[in-house]
Amino acid sequence: MTPRLAGLVLALTVLLAPAAQAAAVDTGHLQAELITQTPAIAPGQTIQVALRQEIDKGWHTYWRNPGDSGQATKITWTLPPGWTVGDFVWRAPQPYPVGPLVNYGYSGEVLLPMALTAPAGAPVGQAVTLRARADFLVCEDICIPESAELELVLPVQAQAPAPAGRWAAPIARALDAAPRRADLTARFETGEQGLKLAVTGPALAGQDLAGSYFFPFDGAVIDHAAPQSVERGPQGLTLGLTASYAFQGPEPPEVLIGVLKAGEAYYEIEATAGPLAPEAAGLGPPPPRSGGATGAGLGLALALAFAALGGQILNLMPCVFPILAMKAASLAGHAHEVKGARRQGLAFLAGVLATFLALAGALILAQAAGAAVGWGFQLQSPPVVAALCLLMLAVALNLSGVFEVGASLQGVGSDLAARGGLTGAFFTGVLAVMVAAPCTAPFMAPALGWALTQAPASALLVFAALGLGFAAPFVALAFAPGLLARLPRPGPWMIHLRRVLAFPMYGAAAWLLWVLTLQAGPMGMARLLATALVLALAAWLYGLAQGRPGGLGLRAGAAGLAGLAIIATVYPTYPQAPAPGAEPGGTVAELPYEPYSPERLAQLRAQGSPVFVNFTAAWCVTCQVNEQVALARQGVADTLAATGAVYLKADWTRKDDVIAAELARHGRAGVPLYLVYDARGSAPVVLPQILTEAAVIRALKAAAG
Amino acid sequence: MTPSVLPRRLALAGLAALAALIAAPALASPSLGKPAPAFTAVDSTGKARTLAEFRGKTVVLEWTNEGCPYVQKHYDGGAMQDLQTRAARDGVIWLSVISSAPGKQGHKTPAEANAWRTRTGAAPAAILLDPKGQVGRAYGAKTTPHMYIIDPAGTLVYMGGIDDQNSADPATLAGAKNFVVAALADMKAGRGVARPVSPPYGCSVKY
Repeated sequence: MTPRLAGLVLALTVLLAPAAQAAAVDTGHLQAELITQTPAIAPGQTIQVALRQEIDKGWHTYWRNPGDSGQATKITWTLPPGWTVGDFVWRAPQPYPVGPLVNYGYSGEVLLPMALTAPAGAPVGQAVTLRARADFLVCEDICIPESAELELVLPVQAQAPAPAGRWAAPIARALDAAPRRADLTARFETGEQGLKLAVTGPALAGQDLAGSYFFPFDGAVIDHAAPQSVERGPQGLTLGLTASYAFQGPEPPEVLIGVLKAGEAYYEIEATAGPLAPEAAGLGPPPPRSGGATGAGLGLALALAFAALGGQILNLMPCVFPILAMKAASLAGHAHEVKGARRQGLAFLAGVLATFLALAGALILAQAAGAAVGWGFQLQSPPVVAALCLLMLAVALNLSGVFEVGASLQGVGSDLAARGGLTGAFFTGVLAVMVAAPCTAPFMAPALGWALTQAPASALLVFAALGLGFAAPFVALAFAPGLLARLPRPGPWMIHLRRVLAFPMYGAAAWLLWVLTLQAGPMGMARLLATALVLALAAWLYGLAQGRPGGLGLRAGAAGLAGLAIIATVYPTYPQAPAPGAEPGGTVAELPYEPYSPERLAQLRAQGSPVFVNFTAAWCVTCQVNEQVALARQGVADTLAATGAVYLKADWTRKDDVIAAELARHGRAGVPLYLVYDARGSAPVVLPQILTEAAVIRALKAAAG
Repeated sequence: MTPSVLPRRLALAGLAALAALIAAPALASPSLGKPAPAFTAVDSTGKARTLAEFRGKTVVLEWTNEGCPYVQKHYDGGAMQDLQTRAARDGVIWLSVISSAPGKQGHKTPAEANAWRTRTGAAPAAILLDPKGQVGRAYGAKTTPHMYIIDPAGTLVYMGGIDDQNSADPATLAGAKNFVVAALADMKAGRGVARPVSPPYGCSVKY
């Protein structure tokens, strides 16, 4: 028989043979029926049957653990002697939030497969009628228990049938989609941090774990409505869960069994109590997904436009002022030689672009490696802050005339930023970007949030656009001889200008010292002050050497001291500052606040209090300015008191995965972010990044309703 | 991109972001063996009731919703009324709490609540009306029924389901192990509550 003929015969056999029959039953809000993967069954054979639900739009039925309320779909078979049927193979559910509760269930078409086994003595040539009663709780906003008496007429034949018919493929898919056990190791631990579940295994290594979630089989072990935090590790992930009442009972759970949603994959896991695997953590939360992010709706073109605009606005941010002042002085020196000015402008542009791209590249690589970093991340590291502080100090000392760089007196800027003309301009650009980065300007936030969720090429393009926008005003100035000509001719006034501009640079160094103090405490500050002193001495020695021909010893001494200072800023590692709460920002403390935690926020919202959340960082100058001009105000304090609103401060000065995750949830890659939650449990209102006192008061009043 | 498109797309992106951020206000989760959350609520006779006023007595809180089939299982055959009557006889204060928001299933005005009490023969010490869900959220009430028992010292000693039969089928009442009955018996006998937690089951509280 040729294969084609064989196929035809098979097809005829299937057509002519009595096939499995079942009728769908309408229970009110769903259609239920029993379906099979094969048209018949052979004695002793195990086939897959399934309970199929076609649920009305807007309604849902439940998973094996229905969550905070609800009831799992149940089936009770009435089988002839010898026939057996297994449990449902449950597909992973969807979470259904209902007010403050969360249920787990399904909507639309749902197949729940089961393995049905015929006894060896099943009567060949006959059709067996199998009966089952299915019980559903079908819910929309309200719930209705519905049930169906179902019947399946299944022919018994001698030859084991192969999967065929309308439902063969859907049942195969349902079985395939069911969570399966993989080579995963899971442990859980309860402590002050709540309930932590760590899962490791090759299947999780290097995966995109955004949106990971644990669905427990037991409804008593975790708070279903509490958000689950995700931290990645080199070999897996750690979920932060909220323990539920089972942990309060006399016999707390010894195992947590359920389905782990890891990225897009589903695994069945069984976690035992025990120490968490260290390889399941350490890399921070997954990078935000584009879904749900503020910038999610942005196309590339729009993101580029925003980025360029944001870059220009960045020039107005307070943190860039000192650098721009330095650049202005440099430009003034070249004002009257058009060609030089242009080349300087372009070199500045190159420096800006190179730095933006380098930072973006580092950020993308770090995120790809799993670190919880956002924009401005470099300022979360104490050694970087310390090094930048010393750099500012060096620039300031240079501007003060303590030392000159190279033989040239015309270059203005730090040792690097002043080298010759072009290199100097280039490094001025580098410096400007380094300190400008933490000031995420209003238009940059969505663009950056978007960029960091995109393919690296698009992300780099956005950052390049940002750089173009940032450098544009200066480049334009350099290319506008008319404007340049208005600047006074170089002369002694330039010396005075440089001396004056030293002071904003000292200010920048002082600010970075303050940032470091918040990150590493008083000991960190003492260390940085000591290294600053050594660096200043080195600068003076260097300056001294410049005044003498030779002076090799002095130069060597200066270089040694400078090297020592720089090494001391980086090594040994800085201590962690004491936990926030006793924040040194005491001068503006008229506004009472509490430190932010997701638990405290949830608690306040449960109590029906309006809440104002301020995501801030000491190194974010925009944040600090907002606190001064818009938050630390009598009007705001009065409104807080009058509305009973609670002010929560989420301080991101130090690396904090919980805050990073919360920022990501709101589609942000950095601070500031201001949220106002009303008393009615609505979604929070996002305030603009440039705050005014009036806007804050208005939002608080609206929230109190 | 035309200038007019930009603000509109911005607005759309903003709306989408807001929609994506709809986050439900959370429930508190009370702790066994700790003081039960204090509350003030108006009962169906218009009187303000507090937990504090019942200090010295055992208090049972029962979350209820007339439209919920699981609640009906316990009321239609008089099982819940029976529990309430027995509790009252033992000097236990039984408070039925309705946390359904206005317009949601089970919401009741004071007059409706009183009519429901008369119609069903319910015998709680009071029906507390909690249309804003403040008491429900403070206790983390998830389902109807959801039961809590507070001892005379004001300590939470039981929370969870009313029995071990997660079903709306009245046939499951027979042979069910009623955790509230068991806990009250433990307390009456001066024992600790043997089973202080159980899974609550039923309809979601209609906050």
